[in-house]
Amino acid sequence: MVTRRTVIKSSVAVPFAGGALLAAVRPGSIAAQDLTVIVGSKDFTEQFILGNMYIQVLEDMGIATEDSTNLGGTQIAQQALEAGDIHLYPEYTGTGLTEVLGLSVDDVLGGGATPEASPVAEATPAASGDASQAVYDAVKTAYMEQFGLVWLERSPANNTQALAVKRAFSEENGITTISQLAEMAGDLIISAPADFPEREDGLLGLQRVYNSGFADIEVLPVAPGLKYQALQDDQAQVVLAFGTDGQIAGFDLVVLEDDLSLWPPYNIAPVVRQEVLDAYPDVEARFNDVTTSLTDEVLSDLNWRVDGDAREDPADVATAYLTDNGFIGG
Amino acid sequence: MTLVTSVWEFIRDNQDRFNDLLFSHIHISASALVIAVLLYVPLGVMFSRMDRIGSSAVGALSSLRVIPSLALVFVFVPWLGFGYRPALLALVLLAAPPIVLNTFAGMRNVDASVIEAAQGLGMSQVQVFRRVQLPLAFPVMLAGVRSASVEIVASATLASLIGVQTLGQYIFTGISLLDTTYLLAGGLPIVALVLLVEMLFGGVERLSTPATR
Repeated sequence: MVTRRTVIKSSVAVPFAGGALLAAVRPGSIAAQDLTVIVGSKDFTEQFILGNMYIQVLEDMGIATEDSTNLGGTQIAQQALEAGDIHLYPEYTGTGLTEVLGLSVDDVLGGGATPEASPVAEATPAASGDASQAVYDAVKTAYMEQFGLVWLERSPANNTQALAVKRAFSEENGITTISQLAEMAGDLIISAPADFPEREDGLLGLQRVYNSGFADIEVLPVAPGLKYQALQDDQAQVVLAFGTDGQIAGFDLVVLEDDLSLWPPYNIAPVVRQEVLDAYPDVEARFNDVTTSLTDEVLSDLNWRVDGDAREDPADVATAYLTDNGFIGG
Repeated sequence: MTLVTSVWEFIRDNQDRFNDLLFSHIHISASALVIAVLLYVPLGVMFSRMDRIGSSAVGALSSLRVIPSLALVFVFVPWLGFGYRPALLALVLLAAPPIVLNTFAGMRNVDASVIEAAQGLGMSQVQVFRRVQLPLAFPVMLAGVRSASVEIVASATLASLIGVQTLGQYIFTGISLLDTTYLLAGGLPIVALVLLVEMLFGGVERLSTPATR
């Protein structure tokens, strides 16, 4: 009884609703362009800001969107994207490589890359730039082959793990790279989450790649949200940071260069389902304009507006940035 | 079985690190317990001798139990920063309700007629306290210390959130990597410690209460 009635009802209702939507939302547009784009994000500040940027750019283009930000971790976002529950979300190249594809940087750069790039001789910024591009290319190709998903252009910003120190400390001791820090690390205290000493992409990796002082560095294990507080209170001289943490700009910290490339690059790009690009070909160029403007400094500053004392709303921060730089409302 | 084996192998492969964490865990727990006993047993006795104020004070103190230990651990950070002292203080604070409450209850529950009889035998106030009240209240007080020690050993894990390396290091690593070996390498020794403490107190309790049997 109930089923039959429901079936009848919905069979009547759907064409009406569909027709109403078509007529009301976008009169005169062709059917392919009536795709409502569902924008996702993971569950932390930077992702909220990026997700809102995507939504606002799409809206500015006259495309209907649905906000599905704040999904959770990488695995959840990736599954939602594969299943088509969302159409795009911001991802980091290093995360895509290691957590989604299960590869390591050595797989991409070739095992021989590390010894060949002799620590001091090569100009390191160029080398790390190459690594960023290599990882991006690898991830972009593999995503298309395995999932049919598209990585749009990547950001210059690299939200990698990093070691940061106060500016005064950096200047007094003339330290700008992790290699330099390693020489005096035995006398220092590092503020980091409790898992840092046990992790290969944490202290173990630092000891392996930079050896010397990191064997004796003292670890102050703290809750993730309190890392910077310990630095501000002078209970630690070094903090385990993420490259685009708002606190870096907010507290005027210096991020030390990972000159021996312990950590993979984590450049940011929107990962998009093909059907969005088919329906709206202009999206790619518009998104690329925004993404390529995002440097470490820009993102750190935007994150700080949300995480710092101002406690601004991520959507407002996104709007202000996009408007000020002419990405929307033009 | 294989899981336990892999945990055992992990601990053997990281013997020095494990020993450091275990020692640090035991050290801060034992220190907190000693301070707590020295502080709270007299407090409980004092409250038991104050008529109405005593029981309201104990009631107020018991309400500390409502605060999750996860929150309690961070209480002193704004003043003391990170490290051993705020962690120790938090653990001491955590032990307040069971020890004070049980000392209070133990002392209050000593039968009034027993005290009267002792006084009738010509015992002084001090003698009544030391030779009658204290021995009779002891099992209940000990039970309080026992449950406080379990809470301290378990909560010392959380000191890893405010600057003290304990077995919590392994547990939090296990959580962030979703790695069972790490979780158990931190968790199983804590369980073992708690069982050990339980056995220890159980033994003391049996030895110390022949008179009531």
